[in-house]
Amino acid sequence: MKKRRGLTLLLSLFLLTSMALAGCGSKDNGGSDTAGTKTDSTGSEAKSTEKEKPVKLIWYTISGPQKDQDKVMAEVNKYVGEKINAEIDLRLIDWGDYSQKMQVIAASGEPFDIAFTSSWAFNYVESARKGYFYELDGLLEKYGQGITKALNPAFLEGSKVNGHNYAIPTNKELPAQAVWRFNKVLVDKYKLDVTKATTLESLEPMLKTVKDNEPDVYPIPSNIGPYLPYDFALEGLPVGVSIDTKDFKVVNVWDTPEAKQVFDTMHKYYKAGYLPPDAATKQGNEHEKTGKWLVDKQHTVPFADILWSDSLGYPIVSSPIHEPMVFNWSVTGSMQAISAKSKHPEKAMEFLNLLNTDAYLRNLVNYGLEGVHYKKLSEDTYEPIPDSGYSMPSFTLGNMFLLYKLKEDPKDKWEQYEKFNSSATNAPLLGFQFDPTNVLTEIANVKNAVDEYGPSLNTGSVDPNKVLPKAIEKLKAQGIDKIIAECQKQLDEWRAQNNK
Amino acid sequence: MEHGPMRWLRTLNRNKALLLMVLPGTVWFILFCYLPMPGAVIAFKDYRYDTDGFLASILRSDWVGFKNFEYLFKTEDAFIIVRNTLLYNAVFIVLGTVLSVLVAILVNEIASKKMAKIYQTGMFLPHFLSWVIVSYFVFSFLSVDKGVLNQVLKFFGADPVFWYSETKYWPYILVIVNLWKGVGYGSVVYLAAIVGIDKSYFEAAMIDGASKWQQIRKIMIPMITPIIVIMFILAIGGIFRADFGLFYQVPRDTGALYPVTNVIDTFVYRGLKVTGDIGMSTAAGLYQSVVGFVLVIATNFIVRKINKEQALF
Amino acid sequence: MENSVISRQPASRPDKRAKKTRDFHRLSPFWNAAAHLVIGLFSLACVYPFLFVVVISLTDEKTLALNGYSIFPEKWSFQAYQYIFQTGDQLLRSYGVTILITVVGTLLTVAIVSLYAYAISRPYFKFRGLFSFIAFFTMLFGGGLVPSYIVVSQVLHLKDTIWALILPMSVSAFSILIMRTFFKTMVPDAIIESGKIDGAGEFRVFLYLILPISLPGLATIGLFAALGYWNDWFNALLYIDNAKLLPLQSLLMKIETNIQFILQNSAIGSGTDRSAIAQSMPAETTRMAMVVLATLPIIFAYPFFQRYFVQGLTIGSVKE
Repeated sequence: MKKRRGLTLLLSLFLLTSMALAGCGSKDNGGSDTAGTKTDSTGSEAKSTEKEKPVKLIWYTISGPQKDQDKVMAEVNKYVGEKINAEIDLRLIDWGDYSQKMQVIAASGEPFDIAFTSSWAFNYVESARKGYFYELDGLLEKYGQGITKALNPAFLEGSKVNGHNYAIPTNKELPAQAVWRFNKVLVDKYKLDVTKATTLESLEPMLKTVKDNEPDVYPIPSNIGPYLPYDFALEGLPVGVSIDTKDFKVVNVWDTPEAKQVFDTMHKYYKAGYLPPDAATKQGNEHEKTGKWLVDKQHTVPFADILWSDSLGYPIVSSPIHEPMVFNWSVTGSMQAISAKSKHPEKAMEFLNLLNTDAYLRNLVNYGLEGVHYKKLSEDTYEPIPDSGYSMPSFTLGNMFLLYKLKEDPKDKWEQYEKFNSSATNAPLLGFQFDPTNVLTEIANVKNAVDEYGPSLNTGSVDPNKVLPKAIEKLKAQGIDKIIAECQKQLDEWRAQNNK
Repeated sequence: MEHGPMRWLRTLNRNKALLLMVLPGTVWFILFCYLPMPGAVIAFKDYRYDTDGFLASILRSDWVGFKNFEYLFKTEDAFIIVRNTLLYNAVFIVLGTVLSVLVAILVNEIASKKMAKIYQTGMFLPHFLSWVIVSYFVFSFLSVDKGVLNQVLKFFGADPVFWYSETKYWPYILVIVNLWKGVGYGSVVYLAAIVGIDKSYFEAAMIDGASKWQQIRKIMIPMITPIIVIMFILAIGGIFRADFGLFYQVPRDTGALYPVTNVIDTFVYRGLKVTGDIGMSTAAGLYQSVVGFVLVIATNFIVRKINKEQALF
Repeated sequence: MENSVISRQPASRPDKRAKKTRDFHRLSPFWNAAAHLVIGLFSLACVYPFLFVVVISLTDEKTLALNGYSIFPEKWSFQAYQYIFQTGDQLLRSYGVTILITVVGTLLTVAIVSLYAYAISRPYFKFRGLFSFIAFFTMLFGGGLVPSYIVVSQVLHLKDTIWALILPMSVSAFSILIMRTFFKTMVPDAIIESGKIDGAGEFRVFLYLILPISLPGLATIGLFAALGYWNDWFNALLYIDNAKLLPLQSLLMKIETNIQFILQNSAIGSGTDRSAIAQSMPAETTRMAMVVLATLPIIFAYPFFQRYFVQGLTIGSVKE
């Protein structure tokens, strides 16, 4: 008797737990389902009952959370439902989480249709090579004509992996151009001539003036990274070819006169007190808030000075270090790919095509609802409503040239972008994608050595005469020569195929 | 012999209550541990994604033997990271255990119950701060120009120290920070064990006229030794796994400090940042598991030789 | 701890060195003071960083950028808290999620673990070896991230549900081990035997005889479990897309990783894109204020927890 009571008690406990499990599970599912239906019941469902059911597309992209996502997506789905009979299930993953999360999602074969990919998050070339993405050549021709027309051809050409496109690049600035970025407050105060700033060495008199007059300012505020005139084969490793190479010889970039010179100069600056003593380990950007800095290095776009001045709250002026140049990483800086496992690749492409050609949709996805999240000022200008709960990072989503401009923006903003894009020359390795498969071991080892020595050399915190030979020796011990040889082999093959 | 199955059924029946007790746990282990476990073969494959799903991807990927493990052994750095991981963890285990037990005994002996509670709450706090926050805090001490320590040095007329580029201080810093963060939490187990000791032992000791010190040494410590041994054996199992945040965030990922701060976990993280290869990361995990496994078996074997009662299995 | 409670009254202590004192439950004043000093200083060292975080959160943003961290900032400001409470319904939601998973998860863990541990602690359980092995083997081998992810998301379909935050951590072989040892060493066989003689079934013995005297053990694994659930962010990183289900620690972690990602990744868009994203991130004082708000409840909750802890221990000793 007693025994049975104990058993019943336990059994009922289990029943309860499993019920709670099931109950909560279904409640949660119910929750997301209702959210899903809510979005399409507003409009498209009524119409789509006559047509076939809208195709549901899962779209992962990178962004912080948007409070009014559901509201905006309801509107998006109404429009997309009408236009191409699709329904978008937008899922936002935060900046720092995106790579890890997407790698797991993709590797596990979890269903999705569209995903953001780039050279700096959820690495495009790697993912394409691993087979996560749908090959888009045919789809582009059939459903993506709008994209092909809108994009500068260099985008699609430069983002090919093994001769095929696996993602739709965002139409934005195509080349990269490094600039010296100056704090104009100090520039004006000491009447510095920034047009003279070209090389690292040319900065010296300005750094000196500022340091002499403002002893508590470190003119170079942090590890700004060296500018080295090389095209790197792999992000983060000193392996590449000179940007004006003729013979396409792959070298260890740290073992070049240019690198030695940069490290020497930085060490001179460091000793002169132009950099903070802990520059090599400094994190954060407090100096931007305090204005206690003179110069750093950034990549520019047309009218960047205006944008920077705006976001920092004091004037900024910049001076180019080199001519704009199209690199692999700049071409693949922001893209949307279709999953190899997508059940509706055509629909996904139709949607991407619409997103990249339809100004209404593009602005809706980016800025949210008119009157709620932004005010429309004229045909193509807008004003954001602060803290309104929706504003997506515009360069990640699609064709930027369709976006409304701020009223401060110059009228010819996008024309200037196009000019900037067409003014660029191609970097030597544009279109060549290094396949690291055979040297993964060496890459892992070399990367550790690069991280060990890089920051202190880049900031001049150590004497390159002593440390650089050690660093180079270490890179060699870790197998950088094998990476270089492998890279050279692939590069030679690629050149033979492409007549470079 | 024909009674075999019948007997087995009867055994089942006789143990059915206990079997029911292990049922939920067993289901959980199967779902969350044993089902994913075969996935570890990725470590021996060149993982290539296949649109037919994960299983197909594994099956259709090529075997590559131990290639995915190579980067963990190939260079002299491999020796350094293994040495760092082992030494740090060994120090953490020994000092951590000693201090946790000490703290547990002291807290137990403090007469004011209220104060003991307050102290314990205080000691618990670091456990709730993420390593990133701890790294800010450490930085406020060690920063070259604004750090507390350098200001103290300046006050006494000494030269400031570049804490983040001097490798010699870091073994101490890391040990102190780790103990500081973990001892309060670690003492809970021992405290529970101490309080769980049968009071009659102490009463008997009291009658025999044993001093407090004798009570601690002769009753308390022997009574909690089984728990100490178990915690120790378990810690040995994790000796090949380093606390990533401690070794990455606290030294602010400073290259100059790698010789004393690079451990297996940070090495793998940095090494795979560029390529993100699943096979290689699984290989690292497997390597750590297997070494931990071997060490646990060995430790347990030794413990068993000394005192069979206290062995884990 | 409670032995000091029981022995409050007698306080005659002639010999200060406490060598032959009759009262063995209390330390001599000297050693008591020493214990206070050691433990007090250590716990102060543990609390200090938290105070430090509180001070940063109350520092004026600009002052912080100019002077760095300081325990006596030049200028104080409540701006960070104002900002959070204006925009922070997310924080409140996350509180709810964290509390829910901590409570439900802890109960579930304690139930499953103690049952399992009890069964494998019984010497007469025929399959003891097998089930001990099943549990302890998992401490050493895992299938890795992706396979586990597939089980949770595609076999159990837990993605974006609250259960994805609870179930993957609801059993730990480690806790089973602690409880097994506890049952083995702390629970006298005599009690079980007496229960058996009374004719009580296994579950009855467990519920009415074993559990009440095992409260210290249960409190320990309960505390471990609760802390595990409270501090977990990794499961949320993997399984939660929906911001409404984000637990507190994951919210904090996200902010930290985002900021590091933006600052360290020079390839993100152009310099202007990066500035724009960096602008949208919460300021440092705000981040610290969130840490304070996320940790505060624990400071207040812990004494309660501890009370039950101590209560459990007292019950255990009364039985003796």
